[in-house]
Amino acid sequence: MYGISIAVIAYSIKKVGKIDSSKIPLIGIVAAGIFAAQMLNWPIPGGTSAHFVGGALAAILLGPYAGMLAMTSVIVIQCLVFGDGGISALGANIFNMAIVDVFVGYAVYNALRKYNKFPAFLAGWLGIWLAAIACGVEIGISSIFAYKITVTVPTMAIWHGALGIIEGIATMAIVSYIKSYHSEFLPSGVTT
Amino acid sequence: MKKAYIAIAIMLVLAPIFAWAAEEVGYSEPLENAAEDVGAEEGESIFSGIFPDYSIHGINPYVSAFITGLIGCLIILLTTMIAWKVKNG
Repeated sequence: MYGISIAVIAYSIKKVGKIDSSKIPLIGIVAAGIFAAQMLNWPIPGGTSAHFVGGALAAILLGPYAGMLAMTSVIVIQCLVFGDGGISALGANIFNMAIVDVFVGYAVYNALRKYNKFPAFLAGWLGIWLAAIACGVEIGISSIFAYKITVTVPTMAIWHGALGIIEGIATMAIVSYIKSYHSEFLPSGVTT
Repeated sequence: MKKAYIAIAIMLVLAPIFAWAAEEVGYSEPLENAAEDVGAEEGESIFSGIFPDYSIHGINPYVSAFITGLIGCLIILLTTMIAWKVKNG
């Protein structure tokens, strides 16, 4: 997992290195906003909670490569500064939330925006859903967890299939707000 | 841009409230529960961060939720500012 994540980070840095440097502050603000949003754990009765992830949002606002780096910076700081998500899981966490969520979100968004069928909502939803399935696969094949992949994947898929709807709504709301009032910050042709 | 900073500030101010609410439902990390259920040992952590679990030693957990949130955002903004300076010479 580390290997894949490092390769994608390196490629994204190369891609982002070519962008207009006036976009750099925007990357920082989006990353800081996602970090702050992830601090907010929405309680779910029964002893659990969920928070916004934001990979698809980062992809829509920044494009996939800068979005990937924004998500990576959030996850790395959570891990190294706050001990959130162990170091051994860092590669997998980046893979799920900064690669799967971002690139799936971007692909869905890009494929649907010309039809104008809620691209941001579906990008947020499907991004989370596939990221959760990826996480289920990783836990299922990990030798540390006794649960089999036939248990972990459906469990992650069912819960995050539901939670992803909220992620989708939040993604759509934020994109449509920025589009209405601050469209100068968006890449051209962004629709909600 | 200014509005984005305000939005971030609002979320940081809300962080302690969410920390409290999570406690009210007896929150614990789902994947950590699952690991415990199957008896996976959480090996001695190699490194648990400078502020483990968003807490600052000796400071009220709600206040530290706000401070650590602020620290996280500042690290990100500073890093991008440095990147921006480097790129613009």
